[in-house]
Amino acid sequence: MSSQIKNCYRGRAVRPLKPQDWCDRLMNLREQERKSARIFLVGMCAFLALILGFPTIANIWFSFNDVTFHNLTGEGYSGLANYREALSNPKLWEALGYSLKFGVICTVFEVGFALLLVFILHPLLLRRPWLTAIIMMPMMVSPALMGVMYRLVLNEFVGIVPGYLDMIGVTMNFLSLKHIQFTVIAIEVLQWTPFAFLILLTARQSLPYDLEEAAAVDGATGMRLNIMVVLPLITPAIIIVSFIRFIDSFRVFDHIFVLTGGGPGNSTTSLSIYIYKLFFKQNDLGPAVALSMTLLIASLALLYFGLKLAVRRNDR
Amino acid sequence: MIVTERKPFDKIVSVSRWLIFGVVALVINLPILSTVMTSFKKTGDINTSPPVFLFEPTLKHYAEVLGSGRTDFPSYILNSLVIGTGGSLIAILVSFPAAYAIVRHGVGRSWLLPLVTNIRTLPLIIYAIPIYLMYQLVGLLDSWTGMILISATISIPVALVFFVGFMQDLPLDLDEAGKLDGASQSDILWKIIFPLSRPILVAVLFLSFITSWNEFLFGLILTTKVAVPVTVGATFFVTSYGIKWGATAAAMTLGILPPLVLGMFAYPYIGKSMLSGAVKG
Repeated sequence: MSSQIKNCYRGRAVRPLKPQDWCDRLMNLREQERKSARIFLVGMCAFLALILGFPTIANIWFSFNDVTFHNLTGEGYSGLANYREALSNPKLWEALGYSLKFGVICTVFEVGFALLLVFILHPLLLRRPWLTAIIMMPMMVSPALMGVMYRLVLNEFVGIVPGYLDMIGVTMNFLSLKHIQFTVIAIEVLQWTPFAFLILLTARQSLPYDLEEAAAVDGATGMRLNIMVVLPLITPAIIIVSFIRFIDSFRVFDHIFVLTGGGPGNSTTSLSIYIYKLFFKQNDLGPAVALSMTLLIASLALLYFGLKLAVRRNDR
Repeated sequence: MIVTERKPFDKIVSVSRWLIFGVVALVINLPILSTVMTSFKKTGDINTSPPVFLFEPTLKHYAEVLGSGRTDFPSYILNSLVIGTGGSLIAILVSFPAAYAIVRHGVGRSWLLPLVTNIRTLPLIIYAIPIYLMYQLVGLLDSWTGMILISATISIPVALVFFVGFMQDLPLDLDEAGKLDGASQSDILWKIIFPLSRPILVAVLFLSFITSWNEFLFGLILTTKVAVPVTVGATFFVTSYGIKWGATAAAMTLGILPPLVLGMFAYPYIGKSMLSGAVKG
């Protein structure tokens, strides 16, 4: 009776199977499931192919052709002329240099400040997690609107910051030629330090409390605990957050565009703004397309090697 | 004995922690606070130096910004709402099944997951030009549809990382119980896992809405009149309303309010997702 039940499934009698058969069947089933699960990827793949894949392919074609706004199909194959023109412009290298400089400076300050704040504020936020929300506020705001708001806050006549600095005898126009470099970097740092802070705080909070107790027994408390115990343990998070922040700062566009439009001169023209101006202001279609292709290849190569490096680190 | 000696010192440390917190919170939120305050000030109060804290609030600037027909600002807000909602929904609809296939069946884990998560790290300007040209060809420039597609594309990586992280922690027993009862794969996905994912769905909805609301570059490039989002529309204010600081401030306040409010609910997820995405992706 009991064997009968075992070999029945939904009332159908099933031939008793040998263990080997069961194994095969299970494997087949798994394989079938895997195959039929592919259908769930179709939506995403199709969507991304349409929105990102198709333009990329069109872009490759455009970059080798002599295109203008009036003649999008191109006037003919022009070989590497677009690339040559794009890469030989010294302004490109200036913009690239600016983006790199901007990215490095902002990342160093953001991660540095965030680390310091995690050390100082962690005990406070552990008991009152909702306070974190107040620190998080700037990163919810659109960078473009942040730029406009700083324009208001730093304005010579109505701005609150120059207003108060005036009271203590400091007259400073943050938006003037002399200070704009500082201002642009400061805004980025002030807006995105919270992001670095949040990630490092999450990493810090995931450390087990036992560790702190053990360290306290060994005499490490306060700053010593932070530097000798916490810092090495959250190093992976520091690396990740530095990477994310550098990439985001490197491609900066919004707040600089709103504040200065890349000027005065080209002194705050980041790579993103440079390509934008090339395409939409100077109508240099060919070089702009070629440049965005070059940037795509460069970023993909960088990401590929970065990922390889990360994988190797994880394996070890 | 030692304990009682340490107490006053602990108090000083605790107070200075609060102090540092207060200063940091004030400095980083200064533009937000100042703008919100300015938006309620009368025009006369805005220009006073030193800036005043106590003033008689007025809603005049909001009336000017939102008032009938005087500015296009209400339509900018509507555009951003439509674009953000539409884009987020598409992103969720597309990436939820994909996350299921990746987590439960391992399909595409080796290539699709890293590929999609890395879209986030590419400079957006790379795609601005080809998408502009494509939109010009198919006539999607300055349209809701076009902007919704962009907003979905930007949100997909975030959504996928969230869903993958969430489903990895969901017990497999649920699937197996469903399978025993004869549920098909899509039944398991939409009838068992989907209802269980409600909290993460809300978080993703909020976060992708915030991302698309705050997007600027594509709004600037792809729209001119009909589908202009708030971020771009607000910058028009500065040039055309240069001196009307009150109206500008009111427009800013309206522009930053939705993401701030949603962010208050979604912020606990951000840190976790970023870390898990970076480690697992």
